[in-house]
Amino acid sequence: MATGTDQVVGLGLVAVSLVIFTYYTAWVILLPFIDSQHVIHKYFLPRAYAVAVPLAAGLLLLLFVGVFIIYVLLKNQKVTKKTQ
Amino acid sequence: MTLRLVTMTKLAQWLWALALLGSAWAALTMGALGLELPSSCQEVLWPLPAYLLVSAGCYALGTVGYRVATFHDCEDAARELQSQIQEARADLARRGMRF
Repeated sequence: MATGTDQVVGLGLVAVSLVIFTYYTAWVILLPFIDSQHVIHKYFLPRAYAVAVPLAAGLLLLLFVGVFIIYVLLKNQKVTKKTQ
Repeated sequence: MTLRLVTMTKLAQWLWALALLGSAWAALTMGALGLELPSSCQEVLWPLPAYLLVSAGCYALGTVGYRVATFHDCEDAARELQSQIQEARADLARRGMRF
């Protein structure tokens, strides 16, 4: 078995993914079948956000990946220029 | 037709399945089939692609986390390896190699 921080980080990731999955499933799948006067609707944003938030998060992720790639490429370029 | 399926690449199969499911979803959401679905079903239907993507992402994240947490560490072997690396470095440094 992995030890120390590895276990904590791993189990943390599992917990986060479960929380996100349950909340999102409740939001998209369960809520439409619950009476619109029920108090549970107070804990969920308007439905449009169910697509807008993951979309924005996905774009942010792509942006981050792109920036990281450019950063690494530039760093490599500088290194090769130095050794020339 | 059957022979073509046998020689279809995995990419082509995935794209085919995606196109099929995607067009089914589009037809249902835009009401092109003329079905009168109850409004709650329609409410569930239109975010479905986003839902599947998010679930796939959650599954990936959870699997990675689980495998990290249950990875079979070998602490003794790791320590032995580190000491062997130190030995090798000392030996090579003695013979004149620069690090």
